[in-house]
Amino acid sequence: MLQNFAQWLSDTPPSRFIQDVLWIIPAVQTIHILAIAIVLSAVAMIELRLFGLIGRNTPVAQTAGRFLPWLWWGTLALAITGLILITGEPGRALTNPAFQLKMALLLVALGVTFAFHRSVRRRSARWSGASQSMGAIVIRIAALVTLLLWFSIAVAGRWIAYAVVSYGGT
Amino acid sequence: MGDLQLSLERIFHWLESWPISVAVRESAWVFPAIESVHVIAITLVVGSILIVDLRVLGWASRDERVTHIAGSILPWTWGVFCVAVISGFSLFAAKAHTYFANFNFEAKMVLMAMAFLNMLVFHLIPYRSVRCWDIERPAPFLAKFACAVSVTLWVLIVAMGRWIGFSIEG
Repeated sequence: MLQNFAQWLSDTPPSRFIQDVLWIIPAVQTIHILAIAIVLSAVAMIELRLFGLIGRNTPVAQTAGRFLPWLWWGTLALAITGLILITGEPGRALTNPAFQLKMALLLVALGVTFAFHRSVRRRSARWSGASQSMGAIVIRIAALVTLLLWFSIAVAGRWIAYAVVSYGGT
Repeated sequence: MGDLQLSLERIFHWLESWPISVAVRESAWVFPAIESVHVIAITLVVGSILIVDLRVLGWASRDERVTHIAGSILPWTWGVFCVAVISGFSLFAAKAHTYFANFNFEAKMVLMAMAFLNMLVFHLIPYRSVRCWDIERPAPFLAKFACAVSVTLWVLIVAMGRWIGFSIEG
């Protein structure tokens, strides 16, 4: 079914257009990577703060409040550029195991981030004291796992190019 | 000129004969694995530099001291930059001849040299008076100009890096 949909999509005019204009794919991929730069750096700043490695004098809620909007807007930019890339090369993405893994990991990462966002907004005082309390080690492990989760999304994304036999290494 | 070409030729041959270079060329997963590390490192370098640039430009984090942001983030930027250089060099060494003759690769290196010079200018000239515009006051024109140049250069560096994959065969 997914294969049929990919086939149908690749015959539509927008897909044809992206396939015909050769610079669109690398240009949109570049914007996609720049959005990844924003999202991964925002995640890294929040996790480093939770580790107590950056801005220890700034409350966790303030660091989160500064970087979470970048994370969400960056994710929106990733979704839009990602949709353009899928439209242009549906066969490369939709039926690709690396792409499917990426989407599954992304859902988990978005869930974790959403839960963190809600918690830090409702219980900002608790998060501020968290680095000194008993929960510190749990929070650090969670921060490390979340960071690695976002990294793994980027790795799965890069692997899309290699999990498709017909497309070489681009 | 002939001598220089000959010695470059020998250096490239030597680099391409390294075990890691052979592995990058012959293994199905070594290239994408190192490439993934390279992409994640570059996105973190670009994202973290962007945080500092946007602060100096007065577009983000205005309630935070410039010296605090630069001092807490830039050491991480340098650390991750080393990862980007080592991973990037491993990819380069595998096909030194090919990359050296590639326009996008050459452009990327020139742009990186320009970003380095721009950074030197920023730190040696406007940043010396940072105490005067650390907080509440806008940065002087030259500081803002250098940061705008920095954002532009890093966007182009990412673009040229992505285009290498489309202009090199196999």
